[in-house]
Amino acid sequence: MLKIEGLSKSFGGVAATNDVSLHFPKGSLTAVIGPNGAGKTTFFNLITGAFKPDRGRILLDGDDIAGLSPPEIVRRGIGRAFQIARIFPTLTVRQAVLGAVHAHRNQHRIIAKRFPMSGSGDRAEQVIALAGLTAKADTLSRNLSHGDQKLLDIALALVLEPRVLLLDEPTAGMGPEERWAMIDTVHRMWELERMTLIFIEHDMSIVFKIAQSVRVLSYGRVLAEGTPDEIRRHPEVIKAYLGDEFEASQA
Amino acid sequence: MDLSALASCLITPSCVITQTTSGLIIGLLLFLVAAGVSLIFGVLKVVNFAHGAFYMLGAYFAYTAYQLSGNYLIAVLAGGIGVGLFGLVFERLLISRVYGSPVLMQLLVCYGAILILDDLVKIIWGADFLSFGMPSAFQQLPFVFAGGVVPVFYLFLIVVALAIAGLLGLLISKTRYGKIVRAAAVNPSMVSALGINTGVVYASVFVLGGFLAGLAGGLAAPVRSLTAGMGTSIIIESFIVTVIGGMGSVAGALVGSILIGLVRSFGTIGFPLFTEGLMFVLMAVVLVLKPSGLFGKGGA
Amino acid sequence: MMRSSLLRDSLIAIAVFAVLALLPFVVQGKGFTDFMVRLAAFGIFATSLNLLVGYAGMESFGHGLFFGLGCYSFGLIMQTFPVSIPVAFLATVALSIVVGTVVGAICVRLNEIYFAFVTLAFQMLLHSLIIAWTPITGGDQGLTGGIPRPPFLGIRLDDYYHLYLFSTGLLVASLLAMYHIVQSPFGYTLRMIRDNAARAPFLGINVFRVRLMAYVIAGAFGAIGGMIMSLFVSGAFPDFAYWTISGEAIFMIMLGGITVFLGPMVGAVMLLLLNDFVTKMTSHYGLVLGIVILLFALGLRKGLMDFAADLWRDRQTASGPRPDTAAKAVTSAPARAGE
Repeated sequence: MLKIEGLSKSFGGVAATNDVSLHFPKGSLTAVIGPNGAGKTTFFNLITGAFKPDRGRILLDGDDIAGLSPPEIVRRGIGRAFQIARIFPTLTVRQAVLGAVHAHRNQHRIIAKRFPMSGSGDRAEQVIALAGLTAKADTLSRNLSHGDQKLLDIALALVLEPRVLLLDEPTAGMGPEERWAMIDTVHRMWELERMTLIFIEHDMSIVFKIAQSVRVLSYGRVLAEGTPDEIRRHPEVIKAYLGDEFEASQA
Repeated sequence: MDLSALASCLITPSCVITQTTSGLIIGLLLFLVAAGVSLIFGVLKVVNFAHGAFYMLGAYFAYTAYQLSGNYLIAVLAGGIGVGLFGLVFERLLISRVYGSPVLMQLLVCYGAILILDDLVKIIWGADFLSFGMPSAFQQLPFVFAGGVVPVFYLFLIVVALAIAGLLGLLISKTRYGKIVRAAAVNPSMVSALGINTGVVYASVFVLGGFLAGLAGGLAAPVRSLTAGMGTSIIIESFIVTVIGGMGSVAGALVGSILIGLVRSFGTIGFPLFTEGLMFVLMAVVLVLKPSGLFGKGGA
Repeated sequence: MMRSSLLRDSLIAIAVFAVLALLPFVVQGKGFTDFMVRLAAFGIFATSLNLLVGYAGMESFGHGLFFGLGCYSFGLIMQTFPVSIPVAFLATVALSIVVGTVVGAICVRLNEIYFAFVTLAFQMLLHSLIIAWTPITGGDQGLTGGIPRPPFLGIRLDDYYHLYLFSTGLLVASLLAMYHIVQSPFGYTLRMIRDNAARAPFLGINVFRVRLMAYVIAGAFGAIGGMIMSLFVSGAFPDFAYWTISGEAIFMIMLGGITVFLGPMVGAVMLLLLNDFVTKMTSHYGLVLGIVILLFALGLRKGLMDFAADLWRDRQTASGPRPDTAAKAVTSAPARAGE
């Protein structure tokens, strides 16, 4: 479904991504973990076209998308939400989602009709409901709580009916209860829409709760891959990273 | 368009000498103004649209000082110091209040200042064109190089401007002050954390920029006619220089200014009606080929 | 969310025009109609600039390029070719679209500061062309000799009431058109790019294309403003392409308010009134205008309609916390156009 082959990217001599080869089966739910600086966000940036890789291929259902621009990659079916939610402050939740619907349907340059165009409302309401934001649909995006902004960020990505959805630390900046609520929402979205979901996460208990499989990155390389249990017992992972993080999350 | 005239000039040593020197004059005076704009932008992230008015003030201050003292050196220094002080007032009173504001708000402040200064100049010095007159020290027979006539004053200007450029370069790269200024351009909070008063640094950059522009005005005065709008064309040219050379780069400003100067002087021969337009064409070419400017980092 | 509709807005526009058509019989005298014609020219110009600044977040310093271009090209076409006014109008708009596309393609991909400068540089390029090309443009004297005004559809633009109707009609029609564009899907895409240009590509939006469209559209309306000015002065002057015309437009939109569609119109009224008032009292218009601008830029900082919109929003929003208040914004994030 999504196959990465020999992906490499250096910035000024430092290899942020170093010969990474990974495979994400269709409809799978995978967590990407690793210490800070392991190159996880760079990895996402390469897949979504924010950076061009130096070497390697990114195969989406067999087509190499490496080097395409972000709008092109989005239209091929890869959606993304960001570590710090990127939203449109002056638009309401509904307006933002409707705007995304129009963009998805290539209607975003139309000047002859009024916004929102007929037929876009249903899809927008559906996605807003999926993100659990129906009650706040008329709130200005900048007035949303941090957690709701992250949900909106994910909702905007969902509008595009992605075959692959990349979530960069969906629970970042949230307190303990909020994180579980968020990850349950993410899990529910995945069960309903069944896209290939890949998420970066630091909280191991969350990873172990919902991920089908785990990929571990370190210094830009793949350190290990496997089921959560395999990773938990993987000697190198435990030695280098999981030890600190696992203990912290158990505390 | 008169390309044959241009071609014949380029193969005639005397023509090349005269046009190159006049191009250097234009370029170096422009550099003194553009360097200030570039520095102020590099450190303060403010586009000082009023910098052309600084140049104008320098010329007028020098004029009055020359009328009073009869000494050209004093006049030029009066221009520089006067505008340097004005730059301090300008920064403290006006610009410091729009740090971080949208660009258009900064532009409005500068626009308002220019309107006021242009009218004040008209009120104080009158609306007629003023002529500075060539100081007697330079009223000598011009030098002749390979048949090309070079007025003594031009040589003086070139030497002085290059010296100032050199000193500026040394100031920025070799002195502690220069290091602080460069650091403040990159990481102001760190500079502040090191105990250095960034407010003073910012004000000093405006003083320096003002001083340079004021000197330029005083130096240019004998070969320009003084009028209230004389700052406008030089600020536009300064912008073009910063686009070509790269925002925040003083070396880029030097290269860009000299390039513009030469384009103008040789351009008057080949394209007498469209000389101004040539600069814009050059700018457009650089923008298409290297949007961040010749020496710049990140403009697009 | 109130549903807007083209039908409703068109009816409002027609009603407004009907009132405007009758006004000269109430407020008699050429002074009034002259003011309104100038207001039409500047109102369209300023509103078109706000399409870029307020809605798209594109801070253009050189919008006067189109005002000057519209003014001169309309004047020159009418003087040189035996065409009717509607044809010259369409040709002017077409020319501005071509120029807008070329200049826009170079400028629009640049970042904020460079975009601001380079648009200004192109405007000054036009200005220097106008000054240099004396045989065609009249150089710094301007376009002289008047503009022929062949009647069309029974409208005789040499009659000042007809000119008034034509200008105010164009004003209302242009505002209606621009409002419609702002309320279209394209308008909301502009807002998205303004709010978060980095996010937009990840929604599949080609930011360059959308910004270029906005630049060209804004330019076309700017040229319409210039065209009205050409009719008003029966020619054209280099001042209409000088950087000060862009400065005045920027002041108009900031004074009137960039977050409300009609803000620029309010600003245009205010600036024109100020202009007329001050020029009667003193010849030092620049000094007074400069002081007013500084007072605004350092004191008020938000436009009249921006304040009004904040008050309205405060009264409407009973629920939900509001992190920013209706109090004067100081150096916080810039105000954004919304409704």
